[in-house]
Amino acid sequence: MRIQWMLTLASLKMFIRQREAILWTILFPLLVVILFGFVRFNGVGKIELGVVNEAGAQGADLLSRIKAVRTIEVSEGTRDSEMAELGKGERDLVLIIPAGYAPAGGATDLTAFGDLEAKPQVTQLGGLVLQRVLDETTFAAAPGVRRSTLSTLPFKSRNLTYIDFLLPGILSMSIMQMGIFGVAFSFVSLKKRGILRRLWVTPIRPGDFIIAQVAMRLLVLLVQMTIMVGVGVLFLNLHFIGNLALICLLGILGGVVFLGFGFSLAGISKSEDQVAPLANIITLPMLALSGIFFSRSNLPGFVRAATSVFPLTFLADGLRSVAIDGAAVAQVMPQILGLALWGAVSCALAIRLFRWE
Amino acid sequence: MKQSGDIVLEVRELVKRYGDTVAVDGVSFSVRAREIFGILGPNGAGKTTTLECIETLRPVDAGTIFLGGLNVRAQAQEVKRIIGVQLQSSSFFDKLSLSELLVLFGEMYGRHVDPLALLDEVELRDKSRSQVVQLSGGQKQRFSIAAALVNDPVVMFLDEPTTGLDPQARRHLWGVIKRIRSEGKTVVITTHYMDEAEELCDRVAIMDAGKIIAMAPPHEMIDALVAGGFRRERVERLASLEDVFLNLTGHTIRDE
Repeated sequence: MRIQWMLTLASLKMFIRQREAILWTILFPLLVVILFGFVRFNGVGKIELGVVNEAGAQGADLLSRIKAVRTIEVSEGTRDSEMAELGKGERDLVLIIPAGYAPAGGATDLTAFGDLEAKPQVTQLGGLVLQRVLDETTFAAAPGVRRSTLSTLPFKSRNLTYIDFLLPGILSMSIMQMGIFGVAFSFVSLKKRGILRRLWVTPIRPGDFIIAQVAMRLLVLLVQMTIMVGVGVLFLNLHFIGNLALICLLGILGGVVFLGFGFSLAGISKSEDQVAPLANIITLPMLALSGIFFSRSNLPGFVRAATSVFPLTFLADGLRSVAIDGAAVAQVMPQILGLALWGAVSCALAIRLFRWE
Repeated sequence: MKQSGDIVLEVRELVKRYGDTVAVDGVSFSVRAREIFGILGPNGAGKTTTLECIETLRPVDAGTIFLGGLNVRAQAQEVKRIIGVQLQSSSFFDKLSLSELLVLFGEMYGRHVDPLALLDEVELRDKSRSQVVQLSGGQKQRFSIAAALVNDPVVMFLDEPTTGLDPQARRHLWGVIKRIRSEGKTVVITTHYMDEAEELCDRVAIMDAGKIIAMAPPHEMIDALVAGGFRRERVERLASLEDVFLNLTGHTIRDE
């Protein structure tokens, strides 16, 4: 136990004294977040509308007319669930079609909720569009009847920004980079320079050294996560509501997955020149398609399905749900299981492929 | 401590193959306590492989090796505790100072070492805060020896420690090796410098193509050759070019 701790400490010292390592693991991801944080992706895209239809069949015509509007993305739900989504910032507006509404009834007025203060354009625009659709519906059912009016009421929502999406993604990315590039490059170099051979004439066991290397990197990873989340909350208005322990659990699981791949690569590569292309082949598709910088929801269906099982997708989605939505263990169980499965695969590969010489 | 003359290392019929190549082909020798034993031979003779088999770095194909009463093939872990090894062309971690490295290596044996005392042993005290990359060739080799001393080993293995060093640094290293022996250690050294073997070794084994083809103290080998009628073509001069070089440039080592 003692020697493993001493080796971990020594590895940590070596890591910290490598300025470029600090640069890549801590400063670079932070810089990406800050730079992207200044880019505002706030143009009005589709209006995310939650519809609560409490009028049953009477509301069906109105609902289908709303769905036909191209600029509106409709989700249906109960009053509680939709208001909760609105609160989380997942909806721009929530329209309530109350019991007793009838297209031809005329007398019933409707209500929509939205964060008028934080999203003035989208809520106003949404209100106007909905009023027009409402008028059309009334007119189609019974021309000349008094029109139903829509009033939009303010509702305070958590106003998520791109940073909230990006930061957990970048965190996942840097966990992947540290695991794969960090381990693969440093072990190939340790092998090539005969440093490992020198260790094997001492009584330490290879396992002791691996444990120390893994422990050191997991420690760095925890520090890195703390710094990123800290800077995010303090300076970038990150809406962090997650459970830190759960974040750490996911981070460590992800770390193990990618460390396993890193050791596998170090096993099959004889030089740094061989590591680089292999590491890129593994990491680049995930960087592009695992929803790090942009949401996977815009990907074509089959690509989205394929990328949903990427380890980086599990990690990014898991971290994001916990950090931003405050998800509990049960809600990120698919991600935890996914990562655990990948971890088993990558560690098995590492054990098979890793060579000391 | 072992008495002088006790056998501390015994290699019998050692065989090591790499595929179809027989790198070490039935090598036998024994080394006595407090001896400096040299293994000489051209490149590819099997010197390094022989050492690596003894050092537990390579599995042996046939033969037995006993070191300090331990069977190397069966008790590798125990053997590692009592040997000190300087590998040919191996390096140390970057970013740790010499002192930190020695402390870390000591910990690998469960020992708390005094790094400065070890550095004194190889005259590197003033470099205790430097990193290995900042050392010259001779300093690196001396540090390597210091690292091999952390566990107060019974036998030290030095694999071509002076290759690539200038004459001053070589002579300096010889001094270090002699001192280590005088402190009670047994030293097994490989080299392809004959003057070095003659200067340092109590006995040498000459290897070629995986076999030991001669084994005796250096002066006996020379006497035997001369007795057999061998004469150098040119009459021995009273000085060599190396003497000239050292006379001109001095014995002081330059790498500090």
